[in-house]
Amino acid sequence: MRIYLTDGSALSFYTAVFDAFRDKDCVLTSQEDVQLSIDSEIVKVVPDEKKCNRVRAGLDALDKGADEEILLSLRSCDPLKEQTALEYIRLIFAYKRSVKKMAHLPAVIEFNDIVSKVTGETHKLKGFLRFIESDGGTLYAPYSPDNDITDLLMPHFAARLQSEKFVIHDLKRKIAGMYNGKEWIMCEAGEAEIYLSEYERIFENLWKKYYKSVNIASRPHEKQMKGYMPVRYWKYLPEKRD
Amino acid sequence: MLDETTLEILTESAKYDVSCSSSGSARANKKGGMGNGSYGGICHSFTPDGRCISLLKILMSNECLYDCEYCPNRKSADVPRAHITPDEVCALVMNFYKRNYIEGLFLSSAVFDTPDRTMELLTETVAKLRKVYNFNGYIHLKGIPHADPVTVMRAARLVDRMSYNIELPSEQSLKLLAPQKTKNSLLMPMRGLKEAIDRDREAKRRKVLPAGQTTQMIIGASPESDGQILKLSEALYRNMDLKRVYYSSYIPVVKSSLLPSVGAGLLREHRLYQADWLIRFYGFSVDEICAENENLSPEYDPKCAWALRNMHLFPVEINTAPLEMLLRVPGIGAKSAYRITEARKFTRLGFENLAKMRIVLKRARHFITCNGKFYGSGSLAQVKTALLIAGKSEVNEQLSMFSEASTAVSALTGEL
Repeated sequence: MRIYLTDGSALSFYTAVFDAFRDKDCVLTSQEDVQLSIDSEIVKVVPDEKKCNRVRAGLDALDKGADEEILLSLRSCDPLKEQTALEYIRLIFAYKRSVKKMAHLPAVIEFNDIVSKVTGETHKLKGFLRFIESDGGTLYAPYSPDNDITDLLMPHFAARLQSEKFVIHDLKRKIAGMYNGKEWIMCEAGEAEIYLSEYERIFENLWKKYYKSVNIASRPHEKQMKGYMPVRYWKYLPEKRD
Repeated sequence: MLDETTLEILTESAKYDVSCSSSGSARANKKGGMGNGSYGGICHSFTPDGRCISLLKILMSNECLYDCEYCPNRKSADVPRAHITPDEVCALVMNFYKRNYIEGLFLSSAVFDTPDRTMELLTETVAKLRKVYNFNGYIHLKGIPHADPVTVMRAARLVDRMSYNIELPSEQSLKLLAPQKTKNSLLMPMRGLKEAIDRDREAKRRKVLPAGQTTQMIIGASPESDGQILKLSEALYRNMDLKRVYYSSYIPVVKSSLLPSVGAGLLREHRLYQADWLIRFYGFSVDEICAENENLSPEYDPKCAWALRNMHLFPVEINTAPLEMLLRVPGIGAKSAYRITEARKFTRLGFENLAKMRIVLKRARHFITCNGKFYGSGSLAQVKTALLIAGKSEVNEQLSMFSEASTAVSALTGEL
């Protein structure tokens, strides 16, 4: 059995799809620590624009929306994302059409799940991201999302915080989106040292007071709160931090 | 700068309004401005009572001249009073929004002076927020009954959503419990706004209340039946084009000979929301769900209760039943129904397919066939028992949030 190992990029993934398409028993993954069995052989995928473009063009001809969703799925933290996307692509070529609504096919359900976890987390973090105001006025939001979504959040915040400067920092992946009041870019970012503006603590405390006051203490329903706002996000929420 | 105590008083006074939604408006940001609307709405936090925080929900003042029987801020109540200025509201909104704490503002007020003056101050505040602070995020503004319609219209052009609270489900109850408010003082401005929205849409604009109007009423403080309440909601949806009617279960915190001494029970509120949902999204009419002078069944959710009364229509074949009928199967929601109608274009669906498609079959199995095969219980009595068991765990789950409702220290509606 061959294990096609990609570097995690879309280019590498689509190249691997080209190479592995007819290799029915193969595994496609970007996990370097993949479990090896006795008969397995690792194939390091060499990214190839031509192969990548051929697969994408083929997909585009059969299903206009597939490429966008596949790119979304590759942002997932699911270790089976490449394998699932490969099977999804095979289905599109087998049926020669979009398979998104064929909910009776297990691979379709799995693929749709992975995509909706990515878009779902993006939506959630549009709400749960928290900015801290630094002494220079730049807003800084550290977080560690499950999936690689920082560049999906950037346009949303650039539109609403148009005249501000801000940074969204994914501490897990050591990358950051930076907006300077005009345009945004992505870059690598290890650690950041932030000096707070003189107002930061005041508004943070007002917010904590608001959070406490707006709760109806006599109607506790912690389970529902945690269902909607998972505990792993609390670390960066001032109202839940202590 | 606003102090924490003032914020606490004005939040405590506002928090019993159930509306929290920030959806329905795609307002764009302006050059040099801050904020925009997100059409689907965004929740920014959740409190330990399980409710979402989307908007900064606050009163400008809780110093009320009215003496509504059920309200903790009524004139004769002995509670701490406070007010804030328009600039304080604006500064708070801008700073909370910038840090992504909130999606916008839900502003209301007690009637601290004449209704006109109160509405003017609310309007002045949102005007300042829009024009001076250039804030383009979501604003929900409470309408003040008896206020000058010209001021109300001015406000409606500035904000995304407005709401006049119906308060009680009949005119008699309103007269008894909130004598300073009349049916007309609530419905006239609602109609005025509806007509303004209609004119706006005809002219292909979306200036006036892009997210429409909502209302709220208290359930169980007065004797109206669920049937009457739902008829009222149906009329409000139809005639006033409301986006939502919120129901707020009565909690006895204010001692009064005019009010019941026990709460309405939160199961009733839950059932009303379920019925409301069926009317808006599932093509049911009130008459099908609940007779005029009756209440909804506490044991079965309204869709189950309807299905049990109409067993002659079931079972329906999952592979051929029209969408409207699938929507009427207990346990099958809109998403599931849609998933079924899409998937069956490509294959004949069996029972195993449905399970894999994440269709919940606990209730539905008694009302469907898959490829002609029936997987439910045979007799009506068995079906009823199965549905009772299925419903019980769910209701307990839903209602645990209200478990200590009777010990609530504040009343149910902190405003108006």
